[in-house]
Amino acid sequence: MRKAFPPEDLARDSRFARVDRMDQIADPRAASGQGGGRPNQRLTPDRADSADAARSLMHGIFVGEIQALEGAGRTCWDFETGTDGAPFALKLDMARQCWDEARHCEISVKLSEHMGTEIGEFGESAFLYQAACNPDPVLRLTGVNRALEGLAIDVFNTMKEFGSISADPVLEFCEDWMLADEVTHVKMGSDWLRKLTEDDPERRANALEFQRVVDKLFSFGGFRGEDDESPVILARRFRELAGFGTDEIDEIAAISAEARDEAKAHRASLAAQG
Amino acid sequence: MADPHAPRPAFAPWDRRELPGSFTVEESARRAGNYKWIEMRLFEALGGWIATVPELDVKMRLGTHCYHHAWHAELWHKRLPELREMNPERLAVPPNEQMERFVEALTEPEAADLTIEKLVGVYRVLIPHKIAAYTYHLNNTSTITDAPTIRSLKFILHDEMDDWRDGEMILQSLIETPDDVRRAAERQVELETILVAAGGICGPGTLGGPTSDEQQPHQEVSA
Ligand SMILES: [Fe+2]
Ligand SMILES: [Fe+2]
Repeated sequence: MRKAFPPEDLARDSRFARVDRMDQIADPRAASGQGGGRPNQRLTPDRADSADAARSLMHGIFVGEIQALEGAGRTCWDFETGTDGAPFALKLDMARQCWDEARHCEISVKLSEHMGTEIGEFGESAFLYQAACNPDPVLRLTGVNRALEGLAIDVFNTMKEFGSISADPVLEFCEDWMLADEVTHVKMGSDWLRKLTEDDPERRANALEFQRVVDKLFSFGGFRGEDDESPVILARRFRELAGFGTDEIDEIAAISAEARDEAKAHRASLAAQG
Repeated sequence: MADPHAPRPAFAPWDRRELPGSFTVEESARRAGNYKWIEMRLFEALGGWIATVPELDVKMRLGTHCYHHAWHAELWHKRLPELREMNPERLAVPPNEQMERFVEALTEPEAADLTIEKLVGVYRVLIPHKIAAYTYHLNNTSTITDAPTIRSLKFILHDEMDDWRDGEMILQSLIETPDDVRRAAERQVELETILVAAGGICGPGTLGGPTSDEQQPHQEVSA
């Protein structure tokens, strides 16, 4: 087995449909609404397309969990154990994350059935797993555990609230359990970033820059933010529990707002072109 | 109520634990180091394979089992300093070159259509050998002096038995045709042959008999 496994080779059964990221965003049923009539709205039950949007988000969570499982697994395999590669304790954390993400996949399959969607109803892009291909374990953990798993905190908190306001206790219950695990995973990322770059400010700066890039990509043109237009809300309290400082959360909020403004300008220029 | 000051035997009539056991401190540490090494190789391989298997149920099971073996590696890692090995990395090694060859062969398959080969290596060869080695250790170490190892062995064996059952059932569900049966059997022969040459996961003496250290002078005499 190779030491680096490319995103295009991720193994799937025949139900899954691989699409690129732009096709996924352009799906009119997506939670962001960007492919359809009403871009960027909070996910609430009174949204006309709320059932489709929630199902699409659930399917996105499901495939995201599979890729998170695959990424954590690859970190167990890709790096030699030791000071040159990845410390033993870091690999133990990644193995623990494999178990957690496997449970999240199981929960997501059951929740998808509960919400009336099925595997393959929406497309899957390998966008998440790509961040888990970084050859430096510090950058990989910062990109995956702080940026992507941080986004998972925001998504699960949003879905938990959606479960609460739409009177779906099963959804609310499951999302809260997954949220607890994601806070643990983000904290792993925060702790390892600090520990492994303690005496290497340049490596820390590179890792934080990689996190910024991933955070920007995953702000999905305003998909995640702090205002009413954002389908997914930045979960400040849970991010603090996971080791984010207020300044770091402010920075993600700014990155998200920037991504939203860029998307708005892009849509305006498309409209102007007719 | 009975007189609380009346003398009672230190060992109750039903407590049959005995001194001594078959392993010295050094021999226990050597085995714990071999265990840590193989548990690490196994959890790393299971983690790596998750992305390579298309079967969704297998993918998720591998993620769960990956953590079980990582936790076992951690238990051995923590036990080593208690057995006077202050540098746990020194003993976290394979018992011999054949064992390294076994792991290379075990982890070689990558393609998406090789799930049977991947799982046979783990669930029909390696895990049965681990169960045997751990059970031998459990049944032969001192039930009094080595109680901490026994506690770890029991937790680990519980996982190994559950995981072996899981893996075997998945294999039985994947093996559908005579060709699948042949593939599984050939893979088992290939890997079992290397593991037998290694003498088991702790080398010769894994299930009793002389260890490789003990064999050395004997071989020299007969040469
Ligand atoms: Fe997850
Ligand atoms: Fe996670």
